[in-house]
Amino acid sequence: MNVLEARSIHKRYGGLAALEDVTLTVAKGQFVAVIGPNGAGKSTLLNVLTGLAMPDEGQVLLDGQTITRMATNRRIRAGLGRTFQHGRVFARLNVLENVMTGAAIRGDLNEAGLRDAAMEIIEQMGLADVAFDAIDSLSYGRRRMVELARALACRPHVLLLDEPAAGLNSGEVDQLIERLTALRATHGLAIVLIEHNMGMVMRLAERIFVLNFGCRIAEGTPAEIQADPAVLSAYLGEGYVHAGV
Amino acid sequence: MAMRAPLAIAAAILVLGGLVASVLPEYYLRLFNLSAISAVAVIGLNFAFGYAGLISLGHAAFVGMGAYGLAILTTAWGWSPWLAMPAAIVATAALAVLIGYPLLRLRGHYLALATLGLNVSFYIVTSNWIGLTGGTNGIARIPELAIGSLALSGEHRFLCVALVTLAVVAALAAMLHASRHGREMMAVRDDEIASEMIGIDVTRVKITAFVLSAICAAIAGCLFALHVRFVAPEDFTYAHSITYLAMLIVGGEGTIVGAILGAILLTFLPEWLRFLGTTYLLFFGLLMLCILVFLPTGLVGLGRRLRLRSRRTPPPASVGVPEMTS
Repeated sequence: MNVLEARSIHKRYGGLAALEDVTLTVAKGQFVAVIGPNGAGKSTLLNVLTGLAMPDEGQVLLDGQTITRMATNRRIRAGLGRTFQHGRVFARLNVLENVMTGAAIRGDLNEAGLRDAAMEIIEQMGLADVAFDAIDSLSYGRRRMVELARALACRPHVLLLDEPAAGLNSGEVDQLIERLTALRATHGLAIVLIEHNMGMVMRLAERIFVLNFGCRIAEGTPAEIQADPAVLSAYLGEGYVHAGV
Repeated sequence: MAMRAPLAIAAAILVLGGLVASVLPEYYLRLFNLSAISAVAVIGLNFAFGYAGLISLGHAAFVGMGAYGLAILTTAWGWSPWLAMPAAIVATAALAVLIGYPLLRLRGHYLALATLGLNVSFYIVTSNWIGLTGGTNGIARIPELAIGSLALSGEHRFLCVALVTLAVVAALAAMLHASRHGREMMAVRDDEIASEMIGIDVTRVKITAFVLSAICAAIAGCLFALHVRFVAPEDFTYAHSITYLAMLIVGGEGTIVGAILGAILLTFLPEWLRFLGTTYLLFFGLLMLCILVFLPTGLVGLGRRLRLRSRRTPPPASVGVPEMTS
């Protein structure tokens, strides 16, 4: 069963077609990547899925229910989670408070319960040593981990990640891959990943959607995508050979 | 643990306030009462501006709504101040909800201008609706606050009322600060989109902050009306709103202690500078400018900076203490 579906999405900004008849399906627990050159419409697609942008045509479904016109905060309460390309954390709250703010989506927890739930995720994400630190004292990579921890605290069953490896060094990317793999295994999360780091995409993704100029040009397994002439021509390059992260 | 900070703040207000009041002469007691009343209003502004980032230049209008509400109910309708006070506060909160929904669709300087317009409208209405508000003559003969036969109208006695109210409001504000609602407000101020993305209903949070702000303003307005026992439109102009904002910024926005310190300082400062005559405004303006440039986090921020510096300073070399050797 598909947990998340975008059906024939069209989105225009003035004369620019950001998305044209884009369809995306994500099955329960599936790891899906959306790739393509800059300006292909990847972030616009995530904006449409999360309600930050309304599609001109098409439908968005979560767990089979239409959420096309639903407000963003209600979509999150329904089970979506998202991180951003440039990492958006609350600078005036410390690490623990950031994650507690995410966990507060669960109305059944009191203050102590929120703290425990947040600490559990902070430990899972390897942030226990900075739990009480101010955000501006953290490295860029760790801030992004805080954002991811905060999204996880909302207990989504579909997590949308917008270039989570951008700005991370190779060691941090390896850690991120390990954590995402572990999260999928423990929480059964479906993950939609937008990423330019092809090593990470090829290692993690079960299915890949390729966008170019707002249109879906290919869909398939990593092996199929790497062999697709249209993808090689539009994005990966004719001489592309996957050689790890 | 969660109650420790609110109780400490309330206890500090009562103890320090009581100590200061015991040495102040009558005139300064009056100023101290006014600064306690302003502190209640500024703690309210802190919900809207300090926590949720809503720039309000109309806070004095809500102070005025509370004050006029109490004045009208007690003088025209003959209500007891004890009944009129909650009624005026509830009415102000209801008006804040009605005003907040359309107004809070605006952001940044658009919101600031709209709230400024609200304050100007309040002044025009109270100046011209003579039948209800007495126009520019205002409303006099507001009854004094009393418990049985004990009148709470002298400066000393009223200070007890003002300090207890301030202590309760500050403690409740500190509790909210440390709660999920306080964190939600600060999250909304930091990043509305990221707040939406963790399920926060941004509109609800903004309305809540705005209404809490108006409730504190109304409490301050009621206290003002009961203290001065006279209200007029000139007491609630946009200039007063700007003063409340200045109090919060000087003290340290986003903090309860800062709201109180700013209210005290900016209530007493004009009196301390009285010897300068009308040129005090120049000095006052320069001081504000210096604080904005050199102390953007206000007096509370200065305190934090000094504490950090003292921690970084290495301890002096010990004298006359032999080194321990193994």
